[in-house]
Amino acid sequence: MRRLVILLLALVFPLSPIGPAHAQGTLRIGMTASDIPYTGGQTDNGFEGFRFIGYQIYEPLIAWDLTRGDRLAQLVPGLAESWEVRKDAPTRWVFKLRKGVTFHDGSPFNADAVVFTFESIKKKDAPHFDPYGSGQVGFRLASLVGVSKVDDYTVEFETNKPTSFVPYQICYMLIVSPTQWQKVKDWRKFAEQPSGTGPFRVTKFVPRERLELDANKTYWDAKRRPKIDKLVLLPMPEPTTRLAALRSGQVDWIEVPPPDSIPQLKGSGFTITMNSYPHNWTHTLRLDKEPWSNKLVRKAANYAIDRVGICKNLLHDTCIPATGVVYKGHPWFGKPKETYDYNPAKAKELLRQAGFDGSKHPAKAVHLISTSGSGQMLPLAMNELIQKNLKDVGIDVDLQPVEWNTLLTRWRAGFKTPENESLNAWNISWNFLEPWSGFGRFFHSKAVVPVAVNTMPYINPEADKLIDEAERTFDVAKQDQILARLHEIVVDDAPWIFVVHDQNPRALSPKVKGFVQPQSWFVDLTAVSVR
Amino acid sequence: MAVSVALVEAPAVAAAPMSYWRTVAWRLSRDRATLVAGGVLVLIALSAVLAPWLAPYDPSAGSIRLRLAEVGAPGHVLGTDEQGRDMLSRLLWGGRMTLVAGLTPVLVALVLGAGLGVAAGYVGGITNTLIMRTMDIFYAFPAVLLAIAISGALGPGLANTLISLSIVFVPRVVRVAESATVQVKGLEYIAAARASGAGVRAIVRHHLLANVLGPILVFASTQVSLSIILAAGLSFLGLGVTPPAAEWGLMLNTLRQSIYVNAIVPALPGLAIFITSMAFNLLSDGLRDAMEIRG
Amino acid sequence: MWVYVGRRLLLAIPTLLGASIIVFAMVHLAPGDPISAVMPAESSQAEIEATKRAYGFDRPLPVQYLVWLGRVAQGDLGKSVATRRAVILDVRDALANSLVLALSSSLLAFVLGMAMGLLAAFRQGRALDKLASAVAVVGVSVPHYWAGIILIIVFSVQLNWLPAMGAANDPGVVEYLRHIVLPTVALALIPLGVITRVVRSAALDILNQEFVLALRAKGLGARRVFSHVVKNSAPQILTVLGLQFGFQLGGSVLVEAVFSWPGTGYLLNLAIFQRDIPVLQGVILVLATFFVLLNLAVDLLQTLIDPRIARH
Repeated sequence: MRRLVILLLALVFPLSPIGPAHAQGTLRIGMTASDIPYTGGQTDNGFEGFRFIGYQIYEPLIAWDLTRGDRLAQLVPGLAESWEVRKDAPTRWVFKLRKGVTFHDGSPFNADAVVFTFESIKKKDAPHFDPYGSGQVGFRLASLVGVSKVDDYTVEFETNKPTSFVPYQICYMLIVSPTQWQKVKDWRKFAEQPSGTGPFRVTKFVPRERLELDANKTYWDAKRRPKIDKLVLLPMPEPTTRLAALRSGQVDWIEVPPPDSIPQLKGSGFTITMNSYPHNWTHTLRLDKEPWSNKLVRKAANYAIDRVGICKNLLHDTCIPATGVVYKGHPWFGKPKETYDYNPAKAKELLRQAGFDGSKHPAKAVHLISTSGSGQMLPLAMNELIQKNLKDVGIDVDLQPVEWNTLLTRWRAGFKTPENESLNAWNISWNFLEPWSGFGRFFHSKAVVPVAVNTMPYINPEADKLIDEAERTFDVAKQDQILARLHEIVVDDAPWIFVVHDQNPRALSPKVKGFVQPQSWFVDLTAVSVR
Repeated sequence: MAVSVALVEAPAVAAAPMSYWRTVAWRLSRDRATLVAGGVLVLIALSAVLAPWLAPYDPSAGSIRLRLAEVGAPGHVLGTDEQGRDMLSRLLWGGRMTLVAGLTPVLVALVLGAGLGVAAGYVGGITNTLIMRTMDIFYAFPAVLLAIAISGALGPGLANTLISLSIVFVPRVVRVAESATVQVKGLEYIAAARASGAGVRAIVRHHLLANVLGPILVFASTQVSLSIILAAGLSFLGLGVTPPAAEWGLMLNTLRQSIYVNAIVPALPGLAIFITSMAFNLLSDGLRDAMEIRG
Repeated sequence: MWVYVGRRLLLAIPTLLGASIIVFAMVHLAPGDPISAVMPAESSQAEIEATKRAYGFDRPLPVQYLVWLGRVAQGDLGKSVATRRAVILDVRDALANSLVLALSSSLLAFVLGMAMGLLAAFRQGRALDKLASAVAVVGVSVPHYWAGIILIIVFSVQLNWLPAMGAANDPGVVEYLRHIVLPTVALALIPLGVITRVVRSAALDILNQEFVLALRAKGLGARRVFSHVVKNSAPQILTVLGLQFGFQLGGSVLVEAVFSWPGTGYLLNLAIFQRDIPVLQGVILVLATFFVLLNLAVDLLQTLIDPRIARH
């Protein structure tokens, strides 16, 4: 009896309130995803998948330099040492591959792996075609139509037309090990025992619960071998759960802490990192149906949103107001005519002009939102405020929340499926890392679903011309100017309700050292150490 | 011997319903806990009905700049929620939603369930088997699970919540009603009343209802607190009432994110659910004691 | 009595079948066509055709049901739309976690409930009875998800004694136990209340029986009375215990949501927001089956203990 009491007491008063000691150098991260992102190569769950799974286990031929926080992340050589477009054939790009790189399963990285990976995404009749992975990344590689092996360490990509966007697409193709796939011959099995070339390798996979990775001690870039021994990824879609886990020592790093808790966290010694990055949080509107088919209504919605209230009061300055696709100061911002400040009176006036009249003939819409997810920030609270802002000027929005990956899946199918037919918008956060992600995939008439993700659909010959011109231009400064002009047109057309640009807040335990938050969606975990 | 006792009983029993209910009322009036609970419920109901006049603010009005004000903040005696809306107003209006979501399914179940159960018990035979076995199928699902499953399939919204909760409670009431009816049906004085020539309507009115309605009412009253908790629970999961409606379960969900900033305001909706639920339980306890119902 | 047993066993079958019909119908309740409800969006045409054939979607509804039932009987609950894993695997893992939680909170509720109920009955009308009864009413009235949140605030955030979520990160029995304490307490509150009240009521019934009163007046030892009470109230208590265990297994959704405990409730909740119909069907069917078998077991156990209880 006494022993039982002692045992019970021992449960409630543990010796160490933080929890038992675990292997030194283990970094445990609480993600916003509801489940472990797909580990079979071309990952899902949006950019959080790339951030913690894709770019940690695998690598692309051209990678992002994530080691600095003082400027926008740039593209640098990854598994390819160099690349250039052939002067005699502008639709062909020659990539020279890095030598001496091995996959986690020991097999060598070479041109065969690149061809194999490309076919797994693009070649529908190949035995190694991955329908799921292809669905995730196919639209990002819209210009690439073929690849061929020149020799063991040289490949040549073919594009559908001359385009400067190729590096911006290659960076999303994660190279998988053909040898490993041949062993299991099934992508689901491959996902359970993944093999890439990245700085971390998977050791344990419990679906819906955790993913454990070990440092890849034979990673090819000796300067970037991980300082930690072990990485543990935990899905935690609820902000309060993430916060509780961080405070009680269950994890060392959480994405998106509840902004309300940031002052407290800072006071308790936790580190809050933030940085601006190419992110915008919008409602992407359906343009072929009322009410958003009317440009005046779209402008009205943009004048109805209290962005400062969201940023300052709801989110404690972890974001900045957005009145366009990119933020002011970005080379693509230009000089848009509409300022979209908070002006409910103007919004009501515009609505009246459009023929909608508050309570008598309100504008109605159904918007699909997510409950959590990468870049989605605090979707439920933010959307409730936006719903109120819009209601106050006479636009009734009904919100339908679904899980993040489900939202992405439905979005990629477009508005015209039976399931999505009743919707008028999706609330998805976007990136503008490069011209294709920022503009091409949305505003070009040739990017309409299912080719890419112009779901609205936005059809504007002016925009088409500018995007084509940008694609033909290899000079970055000239390209910036063209895109700035495009930006002015888009802001005026208001195909989206622009809301905020996130600052990507993260909370880290004081034990975590060496992390530099880049101006990017992604992170480099190799320099991080945990004491 | 039995017959004469029954005959003597019959007129007394025929007169019993009147003084029976009076006895119940008398018993209730002596039970302090039940009276207090009843009083609390009356207060809650009144505040819900009178919410439009009692609430100092519009429950959906608020300024984001005033969010999460403490209890006792100027102009907001119970503070404000995470969107800056007045808590007192939202609690008052939320009471309406919660009470509607809690009481309606039980009332529906009471009417439908009593009807089905008494019919099954009185008629017996195949009707009984059909009805009871169908109810058994729904009984195969634990209440919460059934509510979530149906709500999950139908989608969120108050109407769907009412439907799914009604489906949950009807089988339970049917079971109690059927069981009580069968028991009473077999009692001697019913046979005697039949023998003495009383019509079916008279039997039903005087004997069945008096002796069957009691247990059914008591049972139904015990389910109200569960219904309130389930309705609020569904909203808590995002399956019931949708934002920006004021409903205690939904408020608990949206305020949950704020427990680290301000621990008291987020606890208020939960406290409201708790007090209402407890009042209903005490009341049903008192009712059961007063009616001397077993089990 | 064995006739009764046989009859109950037979009755369970149509109940299970009826439950399965309801579960099967869910696919057709959800918006969109049934195929897209069970297939991932990126499925190839070949995969869609294969699934159509396997599920028999082009055949009449009753045939579809039988085909589906056949697969279920063989343990094939389909593939999750979200994770593309076999549903049976996900459900099995989740069920194990929920069972552990339900068992531990049932144990807590039973032990404490018995103790408090008996205490209240034996000290009827006195302070201890009032206290125990008050605790019971509180237990039955409290929204357990709210209680869970309060527990997290107090024990995890403020005092930092216990972890706030999930099953254990690090291996070890102590770690696992630390993670299970708060969810167990939250889930045990309502059953605790119910069990206390039932035990008290059942015990009082027996204690107030005339011959017991007489025996006590004659000086029958307290221990004999106690064991008599326990033995005779056992059937009722057993029923309640069984029902409450079912409630905890099926009703753990809300507590699992608050604590992110990876059980069937958590899975169900996620599947709803993922619109993952195969997982929804799988979880509900498995839980319903469990519940029916549990009720059956409780009924049979009751009859074994007290053959006088022949439920009609």
